[in-house]
Amino acid sequence: MPLSEVCEGFNAEGRSISKTRRWYSPGSRSLDEGDKASHKPEELDENALVELELHRGSSMEINLGEKDTASQIQAEKSSSMSSLNIAKHTPHQAYWAEQQSRLPLPLMELMENEALEIFTKALRSYQSGIGRDHFLTKELQRYIEGLKKRRSKRLYVN
Amino acid sequence: MRLKEGSFLWYLYLDKVHCLLSVRSVKALEEYFHILDVHGKNTLNDVLFYHFLHHVTDLKKAQIYLVFDMLDWNAVGEIGFEQFYMLVCMLLAHQDHLEGQFMYRHSRPVFDLLDLNGDGRISAENFAKYRFLFNIHKQELKDLFHDFGLTGDNLLNYQEFKMCTIIYANKLQRRQKTEEKEKGDRKRRSLYSKRKCHIK
Repeated sequence: MPLSEVCEGFNAEGRSISKTRRWYSPGSRSLDEGDKASHKPEELDENALVELELHRGSSMEINLGEKDTASQIQAEKSSSMSSLNIAKHTPHQAYWAEQQSRLPLPLMELMENEALEIFTKALRSYQSGIGRDHFLTKELQRYIEGLKKRRSKRLYVN
Repeated sequence: MRLKEGSFLWYLYLDKVHCLLSVRSVKALEEYFHILDVHGKNTLNDVLFYHFLHHVTDLKKAQIYLVFDMLDWNAVGEIGFEQFYMLVCMLLAHQDHLEGQFMYRHSRPVFDLLDLNGDGRISAENFAKYRFLFNIHKQELKDLFHDFGLTGDNLLNYQEFKMCTIIYANKLQRRQKTEEKEKGDRKRRSLYSKRKCHIK
């Protein structure tokens, strides 16, 4: 069963294509246009769909418990297979709960890149204002290096 | 005053009625502030603040320091997230042409910000320093003080300021509509003249 039929708003890789998740798109003005429309109904639909599929999987297992052992085992195998298939395609609820409270990666990248540009200029002010050996200057320098490392890690992973 | 296109703040916007950020945007802004908080004190010092504002807007150095002094209401040389949030809302209100609406909706915090010496009055001189934040023309400011400074001392108390914001919001809306109309007319005229040249 293709993912698009199971879960509205997700592509085959399990990535959301919902409007509410569009935080950053280059060239466009608005951030998170889902906030303009009602946000909750879309979320409920996603969660409701996930719950429905998980519940469907478990209720299939309950119903099949009434048959004899051999067919029970066979049935359990097939139900677990179908559960597996569903589980493969249906994102786990906990995963989505976590996603709700995390910022999407492209936005973090934008913020960090911008911060790096700001700090590079600020570092020159620190060096000329309070000197290269001042602890605040060194702290800023270390912070910049930390940000650069995080950025290169991300680029390497991508 | 303009936000730099493509900067993080450029992607945010205020709700048009209440002139507030959404919860998600506030969360993102908090994360952004956390990234800028180099020294782990939940604050930005004057140097970091200057470079931040210089990077994301086209404000001049003197204007940036004026804004910092206004926001550093405790005079500690640093600003916290609350003041940062206020600043971002003012920048976005300006960007989205909601200055009048913003001043009306948040008249108390705006009044407190402009009341630099904390005596419950805003002087014309102090307001004039910050009119660039709210897109108020010089003459408009003079007229507001003339019409609403009922005590006649060239100072506005909160009630007078509140009345100002109501009238100013309407005035600004009308001014912006006229400016947009003129812009549209100019565009149409240039298109028409281009078409004429093509036909010839």
